[in-house]
Amino acid sequence: MTRPSHHFQSTVGSKVVMALSGLGLMIYVIFHMLGNLQVFEGPHALNAYAAFLRDMPILLWTTRIGLLSLATLHIVLAIQLTLRNRHARPIAYAVHEYRQASFASRTMAASGLVLLLFIVFHLLHLTAGVIDPSAVDRLDVGGHHDIYGKLVHAFQNPIIVALYVAGQLGLGLHLTHAVTSSIQTLGLEHAAFNRLFKAAGPTVALVVVLGNVAIIMAIFLGIVRG
Amino acid sequence: MMKLDPKIPPGPLETKWDRRRFSEKLVSPNNKRKITVIVVGTGLAGASAASTLGQLGYQVECFCFQDSPRRAHSIAAQGGINAAKNYQDDGDSVGRLFYDTIKGGDFRSREANVYRLAQVSMQIIDQCVALGVPFAREYGGQLANRSFGGVQVSRTFYCRGQTGQQLLLGAYSALCWQVERGQVTMRPRTEMLDLVMVDGQVRGIVARDLVTGRVSIHTAHVVVLATGGYSNVYYLSTNASGSNVTATYRAWKQGAAFANPCFTQIHPTAIPPGDTHQAKLTLMSESLRNDGRLWVPTMRADHRCPGDIPAGERDYFLERRYPRFGNLAPRDIASRAVKSVCDEGRGVGPGGQGVYLDFADVIGRQGLDVVRERYGNLFDMYQRITGEDAYDAPMRIYPAPHYTMGGLWVDYNLMSTIPGLFVIGEANFADHGANRLGASSLMQGLADGYFILPYTIGHYLATAKLTPVGEDHQDSRAAIQRVTSRISRLLNSKGGRTAASFHREVGQLLWNHCGMSRNEEELKSALTSIAALQEEFWRSVMVPGSGEAFNQELEYAGRVADYLEFAELLCHDALHREESCGAHFREEYQTDDGEPQRDDNRFAHVAAWEYREGASPILHKEPLAFEFVPPTTRSYQ
Amino acid sequence: MKFTLNIWRQKGPDEGGRFVTYEARDVSSGMSFLEMLDSVNQGLIAKGEEPVAFEQDCREGICGSCSLVINGIPHGPDRGITTCQLYMRRFPDGAVIIIEPWRARAFPIIKDLVVDRRALDRIMQAGGYISAHTGGAVDGNVLLISKDQAETAMDAASCIGCGACVAACKNASPALFVGAKVSHLALLPQGKPERTRRVKAMLEAVDREGFGSCSNQNECEAVCPKRISVRFIATLNREYLRAGVVESGLPAEPESPHAEST
Repeated sequence: MTRPSHHFQSTVGSKVVMALSGLGLMIYVIFHMLGNLQVFEGPHALNAYAAFLRDMPILLWTTRIGLLSLATLHIVLAIQLTLRNRHARPIAYAVHEYRQASFASRTMAASGLVLLLFIVFHLLHLTAGVIDPSAVDRLDVGGHHDIYGKLVHAFQNPIIVALYVAGQLGLGLHLTHAVTSSIQTLGLEHAAFNRLFKAAGPTVALVVVLGNVAIIMAIFLGIVRG
Repeated sequence: MMKLDPKIPPGPLETKWDRRRFSEKLVSPNNKRKITVIVVGTGLAGASAASTLGQLGYQVECFCFQDSPRRAHSIAAQGGINAAKNYQDDGDSVGRLFYDTIKGGDFRSREANVYRLAQVSMQIIDQCVALGVPFAREYGGQLANRSFGGVQVSRTFYCRGQTGQQLLLGAYSALCWQVERGQVTMRPRTEMLDLVMVDGQVRGIVARDLVTGRVSIHTAHVVVLATGGYSNVYYLSTNASGSNVTATYRAWKQGAAFANPCFTQIHPTAIPPGDTHQAKLTLMSESLRNDGRLWVPTMRADHRCPGDIPAGERDYFLERRYPRFGNLAPRDIASRAVKSVCDEGRGVGPGGQGVYLDFADVIGRQGLDVVRERYGNLFDMYQRITGEDAYDAPMRIYPAPHYTMGGLWVDYNLMSTIPGLFVIGEANFADHGANRLGASSLMQGLADGYFILPYTIGHYLATAKLTPVGEDHQDSRAAIQRVTSRISRLLNSKGGRTAASFHREVGQLLWNHCGMSRNEEELKSALTSIAALQEEFWRSVMVPGSGEAFNQELEYAGRVADYLEFAELLCHDALHREESCGAHFREEYQTDDGEPQRDDNRFAHVAAWEYREGASPILHKEPLAFEFVPPTTRSYQ
Repeated sequence: MKFTLNIWRQKGPDEGGRFVTYEARDVSSGMSFLEMLDSVNQGLIAKGEEPVAFEQDCREGICGSCSLVINGIPHGPDRGITTCQLYMRRFPDGAVIIIEPWRARAFPIIKDLVVDRRALDRIMQAGGYISAHTGGAVDGNVLLISKDQAETAMDAASCIGCGACVAACKNASPALFVGAKVSHLALLPQGKPERTRRVKAMLEAVDREGFGSCSNQNECEAVCPKRISVRFIATLNREYLRAGVVESGLPAEPESPHAEST
């Protein structure tokens, strides 16, 4: 008998772990978007929501540590598998023509890298406040951290907006292939649902990108104001 | 002096095989693992035999020239496999399958062998199901059957149009299991080039590693040849281009009798040859004749489009000559009829080699959709190869060499005249007599490999006296010497002609003089031409490259050299058989209306030929007694 | 018709390879791609040069021998066929055609366009079978198998083992080949007893042979001569997950395949 952990060290096992960790991150991304969409309800709603999260340090830190481990696992396995895959074809074709692979599926490494850089930037920018120290630690009238004000302040800057939108496109591209691919990797396949599975990636990507970009653009265009 | 002892068990037909199995001696399990068996070829017969012998505990060494055992040409069989299961309750039985096969073979096969084949046919289906072969099923989950080849019962089991593939992959998977267990050592890309003969027994083979070019000895206690048929001697055939006569031919040269080489089956419905570069003929399923009508113009050299030829100027020649069976006449009859109208100058298409197979009537009667559903994949295949749309204009078809009933002579135990050399599948002279029925070759290959050889080989091993033989044995060294000197002779003949050009020439010669119909004069002239061609070959063949490397041209040239010699044997046999039976049609022996005339008084025998160096082969006859089915005339008129 | 061929020539496994240009003249549109190569080779042999080595056998699309990457696509531009079923009328007169071998670490080149595909056999040997002893089978109708199930199993079983899936995959992954066999046997009741062991052993062999992993790009499906669906890759993954879950709850069993033979 082999232990289950051994089972997941094979390439298919690694793919399964990648799919699961990726799906975990995707769920976070969706909740992150839903939370931020409260920006449209005004400063009070968003800041209260942020305060509600901050009041539960266990949840906050579990999420942070969880996300960090998921992302690390995801990235380490991605690098491992990519190296292995490169190794599997030592001499490249002189000509190679794709027949049906989607653009998203062919750019997973690139979109993943864009996404990683964006996340680092995002954390430095809005969480740690390294990029723009003036953006953090202000308090609103209710005594909460003024997340709303922070966002409104941040997205006045066209360069920041451009970087965030670019990050979202990377995220969207990655999700387009990732979600459908994860479903396949987890072995979900059924004649009645296969079209649904195929549409899942692009749909999730579209929803997340639209939601996030809507926040950014609404602020930048002055629809949501401080 | 060669002696042909068929070793048929006496007594009632129904219990011959049971009694033989009981009287056979067994090898004890402890001794089996000390016994090495060589199996050459991994088609249905070879793969099933090698895997079963491995299961029994023998050490098996298995050879194939392909890169994988799964690529043997059994894979290309389309139609199905017969078995007397009588699942349809339509009157089938072991007896009826036996009778159909004997009659279909035009009374030139052994009753005892054919009866055993019909008996084990049922086990084959069960074994294949157990191995995971996805046979077609009914909605209720039971195995489906279809009728095939003009018999009156539905006894053919099938996997779409890929039955051979699925049966072979089943046997291949069983072989994989034995490789994993360490019972079978698989040697792909290795070609057998000679036998190691010690004291009149076969004790191994000489094989060339096709990747490195190394020629080496592989010794064993017993050797099994499952190397298929020799249709490729005709150059253009439906066989894979690798299929060849070399293994059986070289065994013949070491003393194995070759039986009935002139029984070569020509399949009526292949796509006609195109230009001279064509390398193979593609078979179109026989099922097309269920709905298609064969015709040619009544006028000679009529170059009008088929649509422009009015009904009155069309000759539906099968319906005219065989009103009872019409377009469904058996393979040999239909092929000959096609040839005769083409010989009259009424053939259609390039070179006048072809007849129309017309679906206009059935399309008019049942609609395009029905025809598309029934034959869509075949029409697609036709279009891909010819570039023509058979829904608009009739297909053109022409007969093509397809299967060889002849092969190395074996007794009831499947052993050749060389002690220790067993021959199974298409490579032996088989159970099909002078003509094989559709869906019977898969049955025979698997019967031999799974169920017959594994019993009979044990008896030989339990009774034979086998002293140890090594690579250094003088007979081993002699065998390896034969092979290497032949290879260097090929490489040193630096002429300007390619091996393919010789192959094409001998193929055309045989096709014209020893093809669908034969006569004494042409056979004699063919023998003269072949001798001249052999000389020309050794003088002017060009084989580039070296023998110590991967060299496909060297492999091919060696096979062509054997075709050139084997063609002679084929003509000798056709010349000797002064009768028309099954696939062998001698123009001198026909009725007034052009039907074949069998001669049971003079030719109810197996013609087994013995090799003689530098002289014509010697004929030995094994008389065929028909105790249970009295011979009758096959008539389809 | 006339064509310019850029063909990969390589003397042996350990030697470097390069493209060599040949002219194919007097080609008729009804010639198959392999017949066109035959005629180029005949010209080379007559000149005493070594012909281009390539694999072929049945020339009707079922043996799985032929294996050419033509202008960057395994088995050439048409879908659902093997190289031997490709005809020259498919190419415009005067075209330049680039011909390469299957490229993968697990498929070392033997010579020119011929590669060693024994890795696929070794994957099959690891578990691509049902251990059914000859002679012990029950009547074929004892196992009832629904028509749909049999047809789906047949879809998977139609794999010809050519390796085009590996050749087309950017990772050189044989997922479609393995998925087809695992699915075929897992779909049938006969294959169920060994399904756990089978999928694990076959995938271990895949890793051992140095193939890459599946990225679900579905290129394999697009070049498969038998049009085998990537849904069987999902089945493979599911079988593997199932094996992980099922097996973790099972007691230790003798895994050595040689245990039985002693």
